[in-house]
Amino acid sequence: MLQFKLVLLGDSSVGKSSIVNRFVKDSFDEFRESTIGAAFLSQTVTINDNDSDVAQEITVKFEIWDTAGQERYKSLAPMYYRNANAALVVYDITQADSLEKARSWVQELKNKVDDDSLVIYLVGNKIDLVSNNNDDQDKRAVERSVAETYAEENNLLFSEVSAKTGEGIKQVFQSIAENLYQIRKKQDTTNINSTQRGNAPVDIHLQRPSTNDSTSCCS
Amino acid sequence: MLSPERRTSMAERRPSFANFSGNSNHIDTLMVPHLAGIEDPLPETTPEKVDVLIAGTGLVESVLAAALAWQGSTVLHVDCNDYYGDSAATLTVDQIKNWVNRVNNNDIISYNNAKLYLSKSIGPSCKYASRDFGIDLSPKILFAKSDLLSILVKSRVHQYLEFQSLSTFHTYENDSFEKLTNTKQDIFTDQNLSLMTKRNLMKFLKFVLNWEEMPEIWQPYADKSITQFLFDKFKLDKPQVFELVFSIGLCCSIDTKVPLALHRIRRYLISYDVYGPFPVLYSKYGGAGEVSQGFCRSAAVAGATYKLNEKLYSYNPTTQVATFTDGSKVTVTEKIIMSPTQAPEGNQHIPDQKYEANRMVCLVEKDCKEWFSEDESAAVVVFPPGSLKSGNKHVVQTLILGAGSECCPQGTSIWYLSTTESGVRAEMDLDAALEALEISIVRESSNDITENNDIVKISEDGRPIVNSVRLGQSFKEYIPRESVQHLMKLSYTQYTSTPPFDVVNPALFDNDELNNRANSVNKFIPNASDNGIIYTAMPSSEISYDEVVTAAKVLYEKIVGSDDDFFDVDFEDEDNDTVPQGASVNGAISYENAIDDDDDDDVDMGIRGDDSNEFVGQMEI
Repeated sequence: MLQFKLVLLGDSSVGKSSIVNRFVKDSFDEFRESTIGAAFLSQTVTINDNDSDVAQEITVKFEIWDTAGQERYKSLAPMYYRNANAALVVYDITQADSLEKARSWVQELKNKVDDDSLVIYLVGNKIDLVSNNNDDQDKRAVERSVAETYAEENNLLFSEVSAKTGEGIKQVFQSIAENLYQIRKKQDTTNINSTQRGNAPVDIHLQRPSTNDSTSCCS
Repeated sequence: MLSPERRTSMAERRPSFANFSGNSNHIDTLMVPHLAGIEDPLPETTPEKVDVLIAGTGLVESVLAAALAWQGSTVLHVDCNDYYGDSAATLTVDQIKNWVNRVNNNDIISYNNAKLYLSKSIGPSCKYASRDFGIDLSPKILFAKSDLLSILVKSRVHQYLEFQSLSTFHTYENDSFEKLTNTKQDIFTDQNLSLMTKRNLMKFLKFVLNWEEMPEIWQPYADKSITQFLFDKFKLDKPQVFELVFSIGLCCSIDTKVPLALHRIRRYLISYDVYGPFPVLYSKYGGAGEVSQGFCRSAAVAGATYKLNEKLYSYNPTTQVATFTDGSKVTVTEKIIMSPTQAPEGNQHIPDQKYEANRMVCLVEKDCKEWFSEDESAAVVVFPPGSLKSGNKHVVQTLILGAGSECCPQGTSIWYLSTTESGVRAEMDLDAALEALEISIVRESSNDITENNDIVKISEDGRPIVNSVRLGQSFKEYIPRESVQHLMKLSYTQYTSTPPFDVVNPALFDNDELNNRANSVNKFIPNASDNGIIYTAMPSSEISYDEVVTAAKVLYEKIVGSDDDFFDVDFEDEDNDTVPQGASVNGAISYENAIDDDDDDDVDMGIRGDDSNEFVGQMEI
């Protein structure tokens, strides 16, 4: 199983959390409870690798970091961006200035994440407020073509979704997973010749201490 | 017991909690934490009213913020800097430059005498970028058995962090620390030790693991120094005493009192083998700065509001209104907790900060692998009193981090030196220690040795040249052919109200209204901008995180009334993959038993194989 870190960005009230909430709750309802209270949400998607000789299913696990409100005063910690593989930058298609703010988040991301392989997905949320019905057309404040052009120029993935109805949500994560998988595959083949790093540090993932931990002040 | 006046916790306030409350016997561990933003829409503006305002995102303040937020208090957590960590921050080189300027303009309370040298190799389109480096203002190591580690695991904050092991503790002695390349070999299994010494050492190690239960042994020495105690009571020789007191105990002077020193020596021993054959961990990408960011994020997830670049202008304890320099206001119904570094202009209540920690940080263009154990990227080097040519009276402690820590690029390392000595003597001691480190690393990593494996080589004019490096046992006469390239050298003095290697005195936090009635020292001062504010203590020179949780708990109790539910968070998702691997958690126990059980085998010491996994075996003896 492949695991990737995905961070959410965008101004408050554009619906970042609802997108994740929709994705996590809808796609895999049975996992819902287990994700609440984790340090971050995690959710898996399955993709198909048709390029290989034998078609295979790949499970991709997302570790989704929500801003927890720390973006409101530009107070996101470096820890938030570190080692992010993908970012979801969200704007609200009914708010004119929200695409402008999304652009500044993209810039912020490029300043903070020094990794060319970072996958950035620009998402216009709230298409449920803009039905095909002509009466409602005036609620749209950001033209799809404007955002799309910006995304193309900056090499971002792009789509419009509705967290409320769920339209397009699953495809966003599916597409991020596929892109990350392709990047990882490319990296793996180029790294084969140069992986002899030598003194790789040992990562110590802390285990839960036994309950008789005498130094624990909380037991 | 939870006090009945206790505020309801965040979990209890959740709507879903009501569904279970009729059935309370079943839910004793079902504390479903809140996830800000996902469950509740976040408020659009800064809250107008909070329970607690915390200023400064240093370690104690961040742990406290998370504890309070999970307990159910509404917390506004601000910092006047544009980065997290405050006195515990991990900074880039550019941020260090800026920080030094501010210290020298007296813009940052509690620091002075900052000096910075910066090479031209760091900067835009240079060999190294500013952000390749993460420099800790308070370098710290984490003991594997410690209160902070328990809290990290309990709060799940460890999931935001990556830890690496540190097993190498060098003691510098007689101009050399080459024999002390590895704790497991060198501290306990020195071939040069006499049988009597080994027996005495084992006696002491057995005693110290349970020293509190044997007051008859140490009580007569309670006011004496640990060195005297070890000489008199356990007949240990100076090298063993110094290793026990300074490398294992990480004490700062030969005068350290017996109980404190025994506590510190035990801390190392019980931490060994908890997660593997090493006593200490450190966090990747930066030490205390990362840990405080982790707790801040945890607090935010529990609903605390975060605002950087926000400085308090004044607080009025009568109206309970705190005003910030940008004009915004918040009503604080309970307490304001503040680091001295965040104090408003016109403050008059900052506690006396009479203790100094003098620090030096060097970014060095050497990987320093010679000092690390295999697969590790960090080491501690201790210079005991009298070991340096400056005639140091205090210890100089050094933490070396290599590129594997992700705090510096390949081919470089960060050297953190610190001493509790003050003034000019401190500068002399730090300079002497730096020089000793440089000579050592140049000698040990010299290209001359690797390129010319012969001791004798022929020079251009046909004469044989003796390679003195390989011949010389002592390097007193050694003249380095290359010097160590400093990419950056920073030194500064930091002040604190906490004595060296001690925990905070709770009386420090008595600058609040309740205590004002009883305590005239902290009475209301007209025109002071900080009446009613409780100040935290600046980090002391302690190299471990040991003081942090104690200080946070004392403050927590002051605010909540009891520390019973300090981080009483039980997440319902139990990841099954966090089951301890093997018997690592029991390692420390078997270690203690080992010493108890086998009594008469100590003749074996130092003769057994050197497989690191067998260390426990070697210890049993």
